[in-house]
Amino acid sequence: MQGMVSVKNLVKTFASKDETVTALDNVTLATPANRILTLLGPSGCGKTTLLRCIAGLESPVSGEISIGGEVVWSKEQGISLPPERRGIGMVFQSYAIWPHMTVFGNVAYPLEIRRTPKQEIRERVRKILDLVKLSGFENRLATKLSGGQQQRVALARALVAEPKVILFDEPLSNLDAKLRESTRQELRDFLTELAISAIYVTHDQVEALTISDHIAIMRGGVIVEQGTPQDIYLRSNNPFVVDFIGRANFLDATIKGYKDQHHAIVSCALGDIVCSAPSDLVIGTKVTIYTRPESFEVAPPSSVPTENEFEGTVTSLLFAGEAHEAEILVGGARILAKLKFHIPLKKGEKVRLHVDREWCRALNPGEEA
Amino acid sequence: MLERQSRLRMPLAGILIIVVGALTIGPVLMLVIGSFSKGIGAIGAFTTDKYVAAYTDPTLPKTLLNTVIFTLGAACFSTILGGLLAYLSVRTDIPFSGLFRVLPIVPMMIPHVLFAAAWIALLNPTNGMLNLFLRNLFGLSSGPFNIYSLGGMIFLEGMLDLPVTYLVISPAMYSFDTTLEEASRVSGASNLYTLRRVTLPILKPAFLATFTLAIIRTLAAFAIPSMVGMPGRIHILTTHIYRIISVGWSPDYGRAAALGLIVLAASIILVYLYRHLISEGSQYVTVTGKGYRPTVVELGRARYPLFILCIVLFCFLVVIPLATLIYMSFLPYSMVPSARAVSMMNLRNWHTVLRNSVIVRALKNSVFLSIAGATLGIVLSLFVAYVVVKVKSKGSALLESLSFLSFSFPGMIIGVGFMWFLVRTPLYATIWGLLVAYVGTYLPYGVRPLRSAFMQIDEELEESARVFGASFLRALNDIIVPLLAPGVVSAWILMACMFIRELSVSVVLSRPGTEVLTVEIMKLANDGLWGQVAALGIIMIGLSTALVIVASLLRIPLSHSEQ
Repeated sequence: MQGMVSVKNLVKTFASKDETVTALDNVTLATPANRILTLLGPSGCGKTTLLRCIAGLESPVSGEISIGGEVVWSKEQGISLPPERRGIGMVFQSYAIWPHMTVFGNVAYPLEIRRTPKQEIRERVRKILDLVKLSGFENRLATKLSGGQQQRVALARALVAEPKVILFDEPLSNLDAKLRESTRQELRDFLTELAISAIYVTHDQVEALTISDHIAIMRGGVIVEQGTPQDIYLRSNNPFVVDFIGRANFLDATIKGYKDQHHAIVSCALGDIVCSAPSDLVIGTKVTIYTRPESFEVAPPSSVPTENEFEGTVTSLLFAGEAHEAEILVGGARILAKLKFHIPLKKGEKVRLHVDREWCRALNPGEEA
Repeated sequence: MLERQSRLRMPLAGILIIVVGALTIGPVLMLVIGSFSKGIGAIGAFTTDKYVAAYTDPTLPKTLLNTVIFTLGAACFSTILGGLLAYLSVRTDIPFSGLFRVLPIVPMMIPHVLFAAAWIALLNPTNGMLNLFLRNLFGLSSGPFNIYSLGGMIFLEGMLDLPVTYLVISPAMYSFDTTLEEASRVSGASNLYTLRRVTLPILKPAFLATFTLAIIRTLAAFAIPSMVGMPGRIHILTTHIYRIISVGWSPDYGRAAALGLIVLAASIILVYLYRHLISEGSQYVTVTGKGYRPTVVELGRARYPLFILCIVLFCFLVVIPLATLIYMSFLPYSMVPSARAVSMMNLRNWHTVLRNSVIVRALKNSVFLSIAGATLGIVLSLFVAYVVVKVKSKGSALLESLSFLSFSFPGMIIGVGFMWFLVRTPLYATIWGLLVAYVGTYLPYGVRPLRSAFMQIDEELEESARVFGASFLRALNDIIVPLLAPGVVSAWILMACMFIRELSVSVVLSRPGTEVLTVEIMKLANDGLWGQVAALGIIMIGLSTALVIVASLLRIPLSHSEQ
């Protein structure tokens, strides 16, 4: 598959005093053009290393990287372009705003290097500052701005020379929670408007889900799963991915039979329920199924029991503002359910819950969380 | 207990202000009074004659010009050297970078007079060994180098200030946020362009501060200007003042004071400038990212050539001067190494030096001044540092300013001030007078490290010991002393070494009977007795090395109780 940025069989190791750490273990990845791809994973999973290899700030051990169809690094062909010749833009975690330059100076810098005529520089910087809503800040010292504004200076600087791809290294992690939310929205708007190719690194799952068109989950130097945010959050069968993103109730279960190709009947602590499962599992196979806390609904008390309904006892109740977080004991298992705040619940009471077969999924057997 | 402490602390601060004030402001006041007095015997008899005489001296413009060239030249040279070494050792993949973090500091062990003596022996125009060697090699009629020149002075002084510039600039290199450079690379700039447009401009305040400090140091320099400049008739302000009080039959301390005050004023202004430059407000502050380790700049093909350059520099700083001194100490006169030279080697210089009663007395005086002075200085510094850190009052702020102020004082000038001061007391021309002047001049070098040692001891450490039932003295013994001990020992070593090699104050105050080592070495050098200079110099280096070793042995049991 040929993407905007293609990485093939990339290996990167770091030698410390007495051991060699493999940061990237044979990574292959293709990013879609004009879309935002997020590399998501816990710290130490290799996501930043991968980004820095693409930028040319780290040298891989083997493999190949190409940007926009041009090979920028290849062990076999002996190609190694320095960062300045890769035609990229980058926004750093610390913004890396040059403290000795004004906002204009920072944003104009990539154009000055490209020997753009003065008049054109002024015009393009004005336009891009307009876009990031920093008009009128041209002559301010960049480091005297607020965190959010600095972040936008960094973005303007990365965009101004119209790079083939723009790289983000945890750009929001230095902002406080509230500002992070609004900046996330802004950033998403900018990038969608410009239809630019971007690779975005973060360890924050909410950030990844909201900002990306596409997510690649990394773990231990390997990409474990790729897909749209919806695929990743709602339809993953990978135990690590399910555990890493959001919260989930895991239950041991046994396959009893199949309803159709994608849905199996399993017996578990909730009773016999229908869940989406990999097809062709032998009857009697032990699997783990999971449900997201927000996928439960309270069944109306008078209704006729339907598929995937079960009764449990509320053992603890936490009011979390927008919802109740209830712990419910069912058949020896404890389940966390996020239930609508207007439903009256009391500790010790019985409650009947329903979960849709789509939001109850069996994990791939044999893989570990 | 809090009340008892503050009752104790208040008079302590007062007494210290008086003592430190007398030691720092005292000589300056005497300098001012002296400059308006008719003579050292007629103090207070008002006259402006001395100013007229000092500032209408026809040689003064030339002296000032030399001073400016020497000061700026040496400061530039040492800042560039320090910056380069700091950059290479901190930021690049130069081989043995750990070694380079220690090497620039090693030259501190070699006293300036000896450094000068060794290089004079190598590069003087008549019989400098390197000159002789090059003359023979290329068949030249006169030596290619003349150390007795402004260039020679700048070369030597610049190298001697390298430890200071290195120590000031390397923290800035350590804390440099490398993503600033990466951002430039990603924007499309090459390594070199990045260095020019991003790295150097951001480090500019740090470089300016280092440069200012180097100017302060060279402005006060005396060893190189007197040993290298004076034979070449190149006078700068310090040597000019020295000539006023030492040459001819009536030393004029009034004129010396009148001239000294401008040097002093310049130094004080520069120190405040330096203080401003290193304050947080003037350094560039950036948001720092969490986590990513700083990247190392790959030198590529330049890696080994730069490494060799550093080794050569280290040879210039330490190996060549030391080897020269050792070699010379066994020879009757200086000659290029040869079979004949080896056959003539003997211990005569050593015998002569050790049989000279004046030199033996100087040795004893220097050792006494070093040990007694460092002990006295550190005890005083301990009290000052304690009050400055633990007592928050106007008095302690004043005390801090006082103890910082004398950091800028050129030893030579302050020596003249002490002269005016001591001549009114029975301490004049005694070893005690020197002791007082030493402690007064070098107090900041004790206060500053101890201040930071005290700052590391949190009040709560002491308080928690009390809470858990220890008495005040028990807490002092169990908590404060073990934590402070390493700092005290290293401050003591630093001071003792500084006193062994002290020159600029001693050269003004030393009298027959109160000779000290460095002054005697300078006299031997003036008489051209290089072999004896070398022998005595090696004894001197041996003494300070022994001091360091003994003190670090003492430190081992102390640091054990730390754990």
